[in-house]
Amino acid sequence: MTAAGDAALVLEGVTKRFGKQTAVDGISMRVPSGSIWGFLGPNGAGKTTTIRMVMSIIYPDEGEIRILGKSNAESIKDRLGYLPEEKGLYKKMTAGEIVAYFGRLKGMAAGDAKRRARELLEQYGLGDAVDKKCEALSKGMGQKVQILGTVIHDPDLVILDEPFSGLDPVNAEVMKDLILQMKRDGRTVIFSTHIMLQAEQLCDGLTLINHGRKVLDGTMAEVRGSEERGILLDYDGDSQKLHSLDGIERINDSGKQAEIFPASGVDPQHLLQQIVQRVHVRRFDLREPSLHEIFVRAVGGRADGVAVRGVQGQAVLVAESGDSPDA
Amino acid sequence: MRDKTLLVAQRELVENIRTKAFWIGILLFPVLIVVMMVAPTLLERAKSARQYAVVDESGWLLEQIDQRAALPDLEKVFAQALERKRAGSSRFDELPEALRQATGQIEAGLAMVEEQAGGDWDESERAEAESTIIEGFASVVAGFAGTQGGQLREMLPPEAIAPLEQLREEIRRWWLELPAEEAVEYGSGVSKSRYVRVEVPGEGEEQIAELNRRVREGELFAYIVIGEDPINGEGDSRYVSSNLTDDDLQVWFSRLASDVLRAERLEEKQIDAQTADWIQAPFDMRQAKLGTSGEEEDVATQDRVRQWAPVAFVYLLWISVFTVAQMLLTNTVEEKSNKLMEVLLSSVSPLQLMMGKIVGIAATGLAMLGSWAVFFYLATKFVPRLTGIDSSLDLSIIVTDPKYMASFFVYFLLGYLFYAALLVGIGSVCDSLKEAQNLMTPIMLLLFVPLASMVPIGQDPNGLLARVMSYIPPFTPFVMMNRAAGPPSTLEYVLTSALLLASVGVVMWAAAKVFRIGVLMTGKPPKLREILRWIRAPIGVVPERRAEQMR
Repeated sequence: MTAAGDAALVLEGVTKRFGKQTAVDGISMRVPSGSIWGFLGPNGAGKTTTIRMVMSIIYPDEGEIRILGKSNAESIKDRLGYLPEEKGLYKKMTAGEIVAYFGRLKGMAAGDAKRRARELLEQYGLGDAVDKKCEALSKGMGQKVQILGTVIHDPDLVILDEPFSGLDPVNAEVMKDLILQMKRDGRTVIFSTHIMLQAEQLCDGLTLINHGRKVLDGTMAEVRGSEERGILLDYDGDSQKLHSLDGIERINDSGKQAEIFPASGVDPQHLLQQIVQRVHVRRFDLREPSLHEIFVRAVGGRADGVAVRGVQGQAVLVAESGDSPDA
Repeated sequence: MRDKTLLVAQRELVENIRTKAFWIGILLFPVLIVVMMVAPTLLERAKSARQYAVVDESGWLLEQIDQRAALPDLEKVFAQALERKRAGSSRFDELPEALRQATGQIEAGLAMVEEQAGGDWDESERAEAESTIIEGFASVVAGFAGTQGGQLREMLPPEAIAPLEQLREEIRRWWLELPAEEAVEYGSGVSKSRYVRVEVPGEGEEQIAELNRRVREGELFAYIVIGEDPINGEGDSRYVSSNLTDDDLQVWFSRLASDVLRAERLEEKQIDAQTADWIQAPFDMRQAKLGTSGEEEDVATQDRVRQWAPVAFVYLLWISVFTVAQMLLTNTVEEKSNKLMEVLLSSVSPLQLMMGKIVGIAATGLAMLGSWAVFFYLATKFVPRLTGIDSSLDLSIIVTDPKYMASFFVYFLLGYLFYAALLVGIGSVCDSLKEAQNLMTPIMLLLFVPLASMVPIGQDPNGLLARVMSYIPPFTPFVMMNRAAGPPSTLEYVLTSALLLASVGVVMWAAAKVFRIGVLMTGKPPKLREILRWIRAPIGVVPERRAEQMR
């Protein structure tokens, strides 16, 4: 295992073209060992392509990748774990068999893989599913099985592409625990998501890309500290009345909660007075912008409408169901 | 590296073996073989006997025909008894005492004749002598001397035939009194079990009216009227039936009657039967094939089996290659649509994955074919003995002949590898089976060529068509299998195999390049031109070579 402070993954000017289209354009990033790193971006930003290059499934046209100190993932595939965005299982294999099979593909001995697969499945509440065929598992169970298959061989670096998609809140929590456990074990976890809340809660740092280019990166404190502060508002009442406030630059409204950014030079106290007259305020919090706001700001300016709508739709959903980190 | 390929292969094999289709495939074939071997005999047994009546206006011909009819039947009975005796079958002991004694005499007679001839007979000479002696014995017993009886007397001294004279009456009575439905037990296809003559009472017009009624109502299959003077063709001889499409009975009866009439006519003109035979003897050509050693060899039934066995093998080869390669295609497309590829590719290289699949499915196919071969061998060896039904041909020699079995397995592997590479390439670029079917069309057309050329090549295994097609790699396995009876020269085997191996290598290499791009692709399958570009492009555009330099 690499010592703390080393970089588990370094990308330098990595570029990938498909025909005339440049999918990834000169991305550089550095992921410290033992950290949880968010790899964010709207759909089609080049996340999956970048991850595939990191995993040596495809090769960059330009630039260099250093992964766990090696120039190429091929010789160290057994030390890596990869959960792709598209998740599938062999329908006819049992959960126990398939987790063990993934372990064996990573070089585990047959007996070890079988035993460890059973342990993991039991530990994560899938004890009953060990001998069930994958086609009989629910989607969430299937995804858990797959994630266990990704980590069965105790990899040093785990790359999870959209690990939370399709998980219910309970299973999302299990997933979160699993990621945190890996960090405690000194492993490096990189995960991509467009659910900002999870990134916000978990990540030590993040890289945000859009249109194949890096937009932002750094530790969480760096990223958030560099942005202007905003108001987080929990309220009851007619949201339309908030949109007509004077002196605001932007409002991200989710119906019961809104993030409001005052125009430059406007006193937040002044805004509070206005808001109190229009809706019932349950919480008024001046703070660093949410990751969602950072994301929308970074991406929205340049992204086409489709991508932004997709991202916002996701963000709205999260804002309704999850807790605010500041609450 | 190799471990992971084998791991993938092992998983494929285990998964396939667990499917019902695999076991159905394994079991269906033996069932088919047994059915094919046993069904014709069973069908024949099940066929109900044809009932017919005869009105004999001549007053003597029918009796002669009855005697004459027993002759070929008795030949069959003797032949079968002899076979059982030689095989040491317990069923021989079930035969009547007189028949067993007669069989012993036939065997003794045959040994005597062979000794006289000097004892160095080949297969066909022995078969010929055997059939002459059996025919002779049958004619003695049937009481219809004819030519065969004469020949027998020439071949064997009187003391060898004398004991038979004593058994004659006994065997004859046994045969005549044997119920028709039991007759088939003693000889397959005997006329006694197929045509049963019934007596119809009455005289003249009355009798004919009764016969017409019975034929009309289906009680009788047909009736035959023998005219007053059949020797001179006078009188109204006729065959009356409501079914004129099935003329078996008519042909059989008329042949018997002709034989009897011929004998009578010869006698009337005092012409020796053998002289008549001699006059009528056709220009007879022995069929011989030129052996590999350059010597002429006689053509035995076995040779015919060998000559045409390749055609059966080509069929089997074609079906096996096609189904097993198709299995690979389905499996690849399924794996792709199950979104498993990327997970697997994070652990194994595309080449390992592809090879693992190809090897795993090949193992599945070989397991199936191996079980078929074993079963085929056992079936040809034991089914006839177990059921008492004799297969007309000894097929087990095919299974044990390395020219067929070895080349079958070798060509299965090579042909499979060739088509597997093509299909795995196709499978890798398709998201659904439907898309794959479209891309399959050209390959299907290609595959039909050796099927269409199967019979022409079987007839002329070393002809120009056969030779040229042997050198076209997609056809090589089928055509060379087709030619196995020829057989092709060693040089041809070597050259065509080398060419096939080389092209398997090329197709594999191309498939690997398509596979590594194709498996990660979603959406519309690429155009052929695009695929060709992938094949030409260096791997990964920044190829692995560079990665190695960096290391």
